Amino acid sequence: MEFQTIGKPTPYLGGEDPVTGRAVYTDDLRLPGLLVGRILRSPLPHARIVKVDVSKAQRVPGVVAVITGQDLATKYGILPVGQDETALAVDRVRYVGEGVAAVAAESVEAAEEALERIEVLYEPLPAYFDALEAMNAPPPWIHDDKPNNIEREYHHHFGDVERGFAEADYVREHSFFCPRLNHAAMEPHSAVASYDLQGRLTVWSSTQTPYYLHRTLSKVLGLPMNRIRVLKPYVGGGFGGKDEPLPHEIVAAKLAMVSGRPVKVTMTREEVFYLNRGRPDQYIWLKIGVRRDGRITAVECKVVQDGGAYCSYGIVTILYAGQLLAAIYDIPNIKYDGYRVLTNKPPCGAQRGHGSVNTRFAFESLLDMIAEDLGLDPVTIRARNFLRPNTRTVNDLRVTSYGLPECIRRVVEASGFFEKWRKLPYGRGIGLGCSHYVSGAGRAIIRSEMPHSNVVVKVDVDGGIGLYTGTAEIGQGCDTVQAMIVAEVLGVNLRRVRVVAGDSDLTPLDLGSYSSRVTFMAGNAALQAARQIRDRLADVVSRALSVPADRLEFRDERVFDRENPDRGVSFDEAVYMALQESGGTLVGKGAYSPPPEAQGGTYKGAGVGPSPAYSYSASVAEVSVDVETGEVRVERVWTAHDCGRALNPLAVEGQIEGSVSMGLGQALTEQVVMKDGRILNAGLLEYKTPGLLDHPVIESIIVESIDPEGPFGAKEAGEGSLAGVIPAIANAVYDAVGVRIDRLPITPERVLEALRKKTRTAGRPAEKPEAVVSASADA
Amino acid sequence: MGVWYMPPFELVQPRDLDGALKHLADWATDTKILAGGTDLLPSMRQRLFEPRYLLAVGRLPELRGIAWEDDWVRIGAAETLNAVAEHPQLCQAFPALTEAAASVAAYNIRNMGTLGGNVCLDTRCHWYNQSYFWRKGIGFCLKKDGSVCHVAPGGRQCWAAYSGDTAAALVALEAQLRLVAPTGERLVPVREFFLNDGQRRFVLRPDEILTEVRIPQWMAGYQGRYFKYRIRQAVDYPLVGVAVLVRTSGPRVLDVRVGLTAVNPMPRYFDVPSEWLEDPPEAWVERVVEAVVRLARPLKTSLLVSPAYRQHLVRVFTRRGLRSLLALPTAA
Repeated sequence: MEFQTIGKPTPYLGGEDPVTGRAVYTDDLRLPGLLVGRILRSPLPHARIVKVDVSKAQRVPGVVAVITGQDLATKYGILPVGQDETALAVDRVRYVGEGVAAVAAESVEAAEEALERIEVLYEPLPAYFDALEAMNAPPPWIHDDKPNNIEREYHHHFGDVERGFAEADYVREHSFFCPRLNHAAMEPHSAVASYDLQGRLTVWSSTQTPYYLHRTLSKVLGLPMNRIRVLKPYVGGGFGGKDEPLPHEIVAAKLAMVSGRPVKVTMTREEVFYLNRGRPDQYIWLKIGVRRDGRITAVECKVVQDGGAYCSYGIVTILYAGQLLAAIYDIPNIKYDGYRVLTNKPPCGAQRGHGSVNTRFAFESLLDMIAEDLGLDPVTIRARNFLRPNTRTVNDLRVTSYGLPECIRRVVEASGFFEKWRKLPYGRGIGLGCSHYVSGAGRAIIRSEMPHSNVVVKVDVDGGIGLYTGTAEIGQGCDTVQAMIVAEVLGVNLRRVRVVAGDSDLTPLDLGSYSSRVTFMAGNAALQAARQIRDRLADVVSRALSVPADRLEFRDERVFDRENPDRGVSFDEAVYMALQESGGTLVGKGAYSPPPEAQGGTYKGAGVGPSPAYSYSASVAEVSVDVETGEVRVERVWTAHDCGRALNPLAVEGQIEGSVSMGLGQALTEQVVMKDGRILNAGLLEYKTPGLLDHPVIESIIVESIDPEGPFGAKEAGEGSLAGVIPAIANAVYDAVGVRIDRLPITPERVLEALRKKTRTAGRPAEKPEAVVSASADA
Repeated sequence: MGVWYMPPFELVQPRDLDGALKHLADWATDTKILAGGTDLLPSMRQRLFEPRYLLAVGRLPELRGIAWEDDWVRIGAAETLNAVAEHPQLCQAFPALTEAAASVAAYNIRNMGTLGGNVCLDTRCHWYNQSYFWRKGIGFCLKKDGSVCHVAPGGRQCWAAYSGDTAAALVALEAQLRLVAPTGERLVPVREFFLNDGQRRFVLRPDEILTEVRIPQWMAGYQGRYFKYRIRQAVDYPLVGVAVLVRTSGPRVLDVRVGLTAVNPMPRYFDVPSEWLEDPPEAWVERVVEAVVRLARPLKTSLLVSPAYRQHLVRVFTRRGLRSLLALPTAA
């Protein structure tokens, strides 16, 4: 089948707006009487709040409303099992930067002055800044109901690892560490709220998940959902930092209700770092057993995540870290011990590649180490462990399409991997890393059987096609891809489709932009909705032209007889004909729920990891290492991504490049540095996201495995590539200079230190003695 | 928390230098001089400076122009860093300076930032370049609002690192600075301009304006290079900066100088004693390297890089600079 719209590189609908500065972001909104909202934040990492006195703040000229934790005492959280946060601290602060009170004022100066005049009496409590320390701390615990400061621990055992390791010819284990990260999206979070005289609340927010925000506002403010409207203006990137209800959104709403005036609360960059919800600090201990030929017999992994002071997505993060050890290679036995620990730091949450990235770095690094010990090359050891399409993993994940072999083949070919690997001059190296990710979580975050995505397509007398969707466009191109699906089905020009999105009064339920779910799920819903329109039009045209409906073709803005193309009507005529029938306005409605087979097993924690389809990716990185300064420069990255089918190849390439960019940052430069609970680099000058000049040439390669359940065969493209990039770089550094960096980021100092430790006689990796294999195999 | 708005100030925009000096005559201690603003304005948002007046000097005609006059090359202090970095004759005459200017921040920042501003750059320290909320949380520091140095607790000296790139070249070039006050003007050798004190920084008085940087024309015969370490290839301030200048005549090495920045509260320099140069370079290159390394006293003022590493880079850069300019084989 030849597509008309699908598969064509298509610039985003409305893409001119952000490029020319016309896009309206939340902070751009101006309403009559708009007040500035600001939040007073705790200077202490852990303390009891003895008293909050706002009387002086209320007397500051220009101040209209002041609220404290007592005004918003209802607990909430993104996870049903993690309802542990309040919008402002009620009786205890648990991290530096936690909100304690908030002010709405006529000007930011007045608001800031009022904050200065709020008097808070704290009684400091012992604070913990490291997960291992917090786990062994005496009471009082950070949350009284979480003994030993453990939010949650999982001990999964699939198959029989003891037998698996017994069957192994070679076993190797290694420890890794990855630091806390922040998403560093360009747009700082912002929320505007307005409460009208009819008692309806309207909230505009730069969010990835308007629906979860809607539910949480209702819960915390005690308003029925039908009296709240949530809108999502243009969003300048999320990467997971905006995919849960956040305190400032609730504060803006409450201030609007109290003051009777619209209120805007926009975060400073420093506040964004304290809101956080990024990747946690993570200790990883990993052990892999293999047969002599490289086939994996067992994997054991222990992960300790320092999740900060609240649950946020933490239980999901710690589960993904274990669950996605599977579904990329064929691993018969897996044992996983995961600990999500509470500390007195800003809460961690979801960040691109949620949960899977750090364990993937560890896994792909250790796999290369084992390959070398066994005398195998990095490609062979991975190939020995390929899954087959349409299998079920030992932890009950259903894998359908599986493009990893082709991804590896394509990057190996494009990069000339085998001409370079172990052959480049000292200081230059090449490495491979692979990864995968879910195309949407198989289960909703809220425990519900409702469809995860709903799309309504409406066609009326102007011939325009209205596409109503609850999805959150955050720059990833989901509006465009849904429009492309509808245009493809109806055989019309893309410009005919108008997307109406992210407005709870107008658009149907969608769970939001997280877990790479939108193309797959909302895409399927859009496909279904468009097909209903097409069927109705086909029915009308079929009768009018006396052509069987199944012989009608929708193409080039016409509906015509496939066997006699001259016989047909224009799309507009077809619409007009249908509108004259008794049904009137044409409405198509689509809904998507993941099939039961894609919802995983029944064990505790089984709900995280399953997905209707998995994307696959392979990256090769070529690096140069300055052996005198230790500096690593990534010269070139080749990344192949199996996205099922590239509905919009331009968007897929953009997502691959973005993933490489974030992987590059995590590999080499990014880390949130803290001391006593304070962030020392809460800004974009000292938090080192790579700049343009730091980037390698990126070659994106699209692999299409045509998934049986994705819309036109599509799977996710936004996250899956990231995790492979980091080990590709680490493995390339090893190829270049023979040192294994197991602690991110790979700083020049760590490289130098490792080079100094390495004995001068060890030489190149290839010269490592064979004896290691038999020695360790007995262990 | 954070940098939400600028503290209030009044912008004074004189037409000429006289107008600027008249303002300074009355308001010197309430005034900060604003050239490109790329260093000062972010610091004001962090409440590191809350001046009553900002005196804009970027467009004063007396502070512009690049010219060869008598024995000197005169560069107006308000010339932008890009104007310096891309000036063909300057690139020819003083490559270490133009390389240093070209390495500052990023292209669009260099369109605003000026040579004079770069010379007068504030010293930097991760205990100091923070928001008001953050600094208040640690009880402030010696350099601003507090009494304790967190880098060297117990000491009375501020160790914030001077982080201007161009100064590394200028100290090696023996440049001079013209400082003009309402009461008169003076020429100060750049080697005597700085103080090894992160708080007081230099001898510029509040009523003085740096109007020009001048370099002796006889320095134009030197080859030069500037080496800089920063974590990203743009935007970041230097964590180490080394300028190396060499003058040769055929096989003879006539003069060698090294300028050093970002590792002390002031830029430092080392002139190789001429008697060393009588021996072949291999005999003294490492001695020069060690002499320069001894000048570097980086402390824990930077967040992501240790003092030991910065010291190590001083060694690597100095050696690289010398060996490349003297056409010696790369060190083993």
